[in-house]
Amino acid sequence: MERRKFLTLAGTAAGTAALAGCSSGDGTPTDGGGDTATDTEEPTATERPEPETREGYLQRANLVLNEEAPWIFLNRQYSVYGKSTDIAWQARRDERIDAYAIEPQGSKSSVTITQSQLDSGLDPHDHRETPTDNIVLQAYEGLLSRDREGRVTNQLATGYERVEAGQVRFQLRSGVSFHSGDSLTKQDVAFSINRIVQSDVGGLESPQSDQLAGVTGAEPADGDSAVVVSSDGINPIVFALFASYCDVMNRSWVESNDTAYINSHMNGTGPFMLDNYEQDVEISYESYDDYYMDAAPADSLTIQAAGEASTRVNQLLSGETDLIVNVPPQNISQVQNSEDSEISAVPSTRIIYNAMIYNREPFDSPQFRQAMNYAIDLESIISNVLSGFADQTGQPTLEGFVGHNGDVDPYPYDVEEAERLVEESGYAGAEIELHTPNGRYLKDLEIAQAVVGYIDELENVSAEVQQRDFGNLAGELLDGDLSTSPAFYLIGWGNATFDASQTIIPLLTSDGALTSYSNDRVDELMNEAQSMGGEN
Amino acid sequence: MASFGRFVAKRILQGVGVIFGVITVLFVLRYVTPGSPVDFIAPLDASQATRQRIAESLGLNEPLYVQYFDYVVSLVQGDMGYSYRSGTAVRPRVFAKLPATLELAVAATLVAVALSIPLGVISATRRHSLPDYVATVFSLLGISTPNFWLGVMLVVLFAVQFNVFPTSSRPVGLLDALGHLVVISGPEQGWALPLDVDPFLADMENWLAHIVLPAITLGTYFTALITRLTRSGMLDQLGQGYVRAARAKGLPETLVTYRHALRNTLIPVITVVGLQLGTLIGGAVITEAVFDWPGLGTLVIDAINNRDWPLIQGCLVVIGAGFVIVNVVVDTLYAKLNPQVMD
Repeated sequence: MERRKFLTLAGTAAGTAALAGCSSGDGTPTDGGGDTATDTEEPTATERPEPETREGYLQRANLVLNEEAPWIFLNRQYSVYGKSTDIAWQARRDERIDAYAIEPQGSKSSVTITQSQLDSGLDPHDHRETPTDNIVLQAYEGLLSRDREGRVTNQLATGYERVEAGQVRFQLRSGVSFHSGDSLTKQDVAFSINRIVQSDVGGLESPQSDQLAGVTGAEPADGDSAVVVSSDGINPIVFALFASYCDVMNRSWVESNDTAYINSHMNGTGPFMLDNYEQDVEISYESYDDYYMDAAPADSLTIQAAGEASTRVNQLLSGETDLIVNVPPQNISQVQNSEDSEISAVPSTRIIYNAMIYNREPFDSPQFRQAMNYAIDLESIISNVLSGFADQTGQPTLEGFVGHNGDVDPYPYDVEEAERLVEESGYAGAEIELHTPNGRYLKDLEIAQAVVGYIDELENVSAEVQQRDFGNLAGELLDGDLSTSPAFYLIGWGNATFDASQTIIPLLTSDGALTSYSNDRVDELMNEAQSMGGEN
Repeated sequence: MASFGRFVAKRILQGVGVIFGVITVLFVLRYVTPGSPVDFIAPLDASQATRQRIAESLGLNEPLYVQYFDYVVSLVQGDMGYSYRSGTAVRPRVFAKLPATLELAVAATLVAVALSIPLGVISATRRHSLPDYVATVFSLLGISTPNFWLGVMLVVLFAVQFNVFPTSSRPVGLLDALGHLVVISGPEQGWALPLDVDPFLADMENWLAHIVLPAITLGTYFTALITRLTRSGMLDQLGQGYVRAARAKGLPETLVTYRHALRNTLIPVITVVGLQLGTLIGGAVITEAVFDWPGLGTLVIDAINNRDWPLIQGCLVVIGAGFVIVNVVVDTLYAKLNPQVMD
């Protein structure tokens, strides 16, 4: 107990050294955690009274998962941007760049952003990765949105409410027009939602349908300028889903154009309209004069890409671009030392972890899994491998998310405890192999090597790193068969809904798409949580 | 002459065979490479049903040999299929990248030839003197300097530090720049001649500024190679009887060196330059990445990272075709110069 408390302090210190502003949740009371946690062999969580709220259930699930240690909890990744001093801008938590928030300084009126990759087509419903999101979201908007900190805000909706279980209603903003000049109608909104969730609408099999999981369809409300969305079951996070996904498109525009056209043109309601699209080269926008709010501070915007981090950094240093993504730790000082550029970093929604498959030796022993968490010096990994640009984690849910348990701390570094737990687990002398992709996540291989280095230092366990091609590894993890997966692997998970369920359900419940774990208590807690309406 | 025609025809047929071979090898690789393209398109948490639907929509459920024959048949008709990742047609994307790649390959070759031939000649004619040693050290350095390092160093020095050249990218292509010079008016407008000289100059300057560093980076290794080749070829030629005869006739030394010896030295050099140009079409990947040069190399790397097989195939078929065409041209030239090779 004391050890954990000590580590919180140390961890906080590391976090604040890296950057200020790691705000904690919204002050809701958290589910009690540490009072009985000294003896981790007993599933102590069951002895506490059942939670009463959805958030309480989620917090309880996080507590149980911390104790059961299905993962080695590693770091919360930061989004590290380099920006020119010619613009005022602050990084968002959800890895997206909203150019509407970029303010050019002085006489400057155009802004250039350099990403690592360009789009995979401009159809806002036909992709699901951040580089394309960033390109599309400048021109398209959804019903709801999020502010920089991740809080849900109104966008094309002026209000939303749950009408009954399985039905929610969005009130639409008036006076909104598409770039083509057409006014936004409730039919457009309903069509856009249906285009994602129903494969026979809009000529598209949308890869975002899983992102609107549970939503079955939408229809325009009678009379009023509103849309009614139906879902199966109560779907507690339906509003959170609409804050991250489902851009609204113009129905007649979609229906009168072919796929190739929709993928190379944009007709949204957003603050920027497409000026010129040169596939694989660059995309330029200009400010949309008839935007329903103040016009964007920048008159024009260009998005380009450079896959090499050093190329992006050089572009920034020589003033050819204003904002670059993913500055690697080794280049951070270069950007900081220049007078014309600075680093803007923010904790992202991505967690990096090592999964230990629960039914494979030696990971079928909770003691062994806990031992692995005690064995690593996470604080040192973060300061040495990631130059301090990361936070420690001790539960699957990140700080600031609905369901994060504030009383659960990261595991401390304790070699003796780790060795003791290994003995207790009966797996002394175990040899384990950590599978890791190389280059998929920031410093993934280096993190894996550090983890394995610490584990290998234990007297009774030896460990090795196995480098894997990401596609190859992903294929094994996603085939729906746990026995073909490596028993121990490093992977990252981004969750833009800011809700614990979208991490725990896919990764840590028995039927999750990418699960490595099965525990009746966790399944039960998550079922309870998902059957209750949440706050948002 | 008939035999020359047959020789060329044979070479072209062989070239087609090579491209067919490239496609076959690609499909074999595709068969043995683990990881389905679906894993790259679908989000990690996609349900099995979503995956299945995506696989079906891409035709991935067909057996590979069916996909192979479909591909070959449509390729013959000029159709390279559609990218898995973006759903766009492959052919226009690949051909859109070709000018950038060709420009860089030719510019690098020009840099290399312009530097290496004089260097080679100087070091051969002044063997064991200071210029020879300087040239030898220079070419040794050139051969042993890794491309990516040289590229990054040039950028740090000339773009970031001194701000002489831009760091990267290619905002305007050579063809676009030249476009200003082409007659853009039709017969109705009276065929007015060269038009926009000012934008032409501005674009040319812009294009040149952007291509200098990548061309030097890519050309350096090549410079070193040709310098060595020219030097040894020159030494060989200078020892020949006809050179002695020319000197005996009283021809000035410059004329002997450049008119006679160098000409004969250039035959193998041209072959190597030609073949190297073919390599540069597909082999500039690292330089393209460092300079964010939007050529085939960058495209093929992106495609490989996304397991975008139609795009990978499209790029490699075009690179292969480029290589084959350069080879056929070089062989043909060689046959013209030295008819013995036709036998």
